[in-house]
Amino acid sequence: MIATSKSATEDPVDPDLVDIDRVLAGDIQAFEGIVRRWQAPLINMAWRYCRDRARAEELAQEAFIRAWRGLAQWRRESSFSTWLFALAANVFRSDLKRFPTVSLPLEAAPEPSGPPTQHNTLQKEVSHGAVRRAVLALPPRYREPVVLFYFHEMDLSAAARTMGMPEGTMKARLSRARALLRRRFPQLEAQNDEMELLAPNTGKEA
Amino acid sequence: MNRPNTDRSVMDLDSIDRILATEEPLLPSSGFLASVMQGVREEAAAPPPIPFPWRRVLPGVALIAGVSVWAAIEFARNGLPSAGTVSLALPHLTAAGVQSLEQASWVAGALGVSLLSWLLSRRLAGRSGLL
Repeated sequence: MIATSKSATEDPVDPDLVDIDRVLAGDIQAFEGIVRRWQAPLINMAWRYCRDRARAEELAQEAFIRAWRGLAQWRRESSFSTWLFALAANVFRSDLKRFPTVSLPLEAAPEPSGPPTQHNTLQKEVSHGAVRRAVLALPPRYREPVVLFYFHEMDLSAAARTMGMPEGTMKARLSRARALLRRRFPQLEAQNDEMELLAPNTGKEA
Repeated sequence: MNRPNTDRSVMDLDSIDRILATEEPLLPSSGFLASVMQGVREEAAAPPPIPFPWRRVLPGVALIAGVSVWAAIEFARNGLPSAGTVSLALPHLTAAGVQSLEQASWVAGALGVSLLSWLLSRRLAGRSGLL
């Protein structure tokens, strides 16, 4: 899902670089290309922060406008995607600090009751949704590493770069966060283990 | 679309990983792009922010700071009972004068703290052109 652009210095025909140069030269319309390429990743990233579709689009829009404002400050030392994701993470973080999502404490997050079966996809969706919502109930210092780690398709270094945090710190916080989630959903763990034993090829979702 | 390298060393892929890593991606709504570009155009059309008139303000700030320091020193000298040494200025302050000086020093102190906190916040925000 995530498109990671190459380093700014590697690809002279990087469409982002071309558009950025045009924007900096005064062509506002060229920014449309950047938005077109990055709108889906940014909306999905925002969605993982708030789990509210409308708000995710608002946050992504705000991130794009900040990016437009700050385009001249991008020093091209890192890839454009790294810069954009870090900027977006700052926007999402500060906005959610001001207007937090309504979420239950982790202990109050509902645990799936019945054992999901292969044919019970609805039940499975419900239980998966409970786990995803529980991420928002994690303490803030653990929540964002989880959000970014899975958004970046489990790429630890990309997540750490987006957060501007050393990989070691990121790793420690992730481990702690996942331990908290496991403790909250022990039943789910056991159920999934059973499912894997029954159907080992269906472990990975589409 | 490149698929980044995954880091499985954090922990083995388990059910929580599977649940959190696999989500149906959201597609942007049809009007999203137009909405962002509208916002960008509005930003571009907005007049640039008026720069803070430092050249005019700095002399005033320096004057206030100087007066504050002087007032604080004088207050400390005249206010302390043990300070029996000769004062350089305003040797005989009335009670009202002392009170005025005290109030002025509080105001000056508050202004100084405000200025410091503002400078610090700018520095933390990485936009400092002063520090």
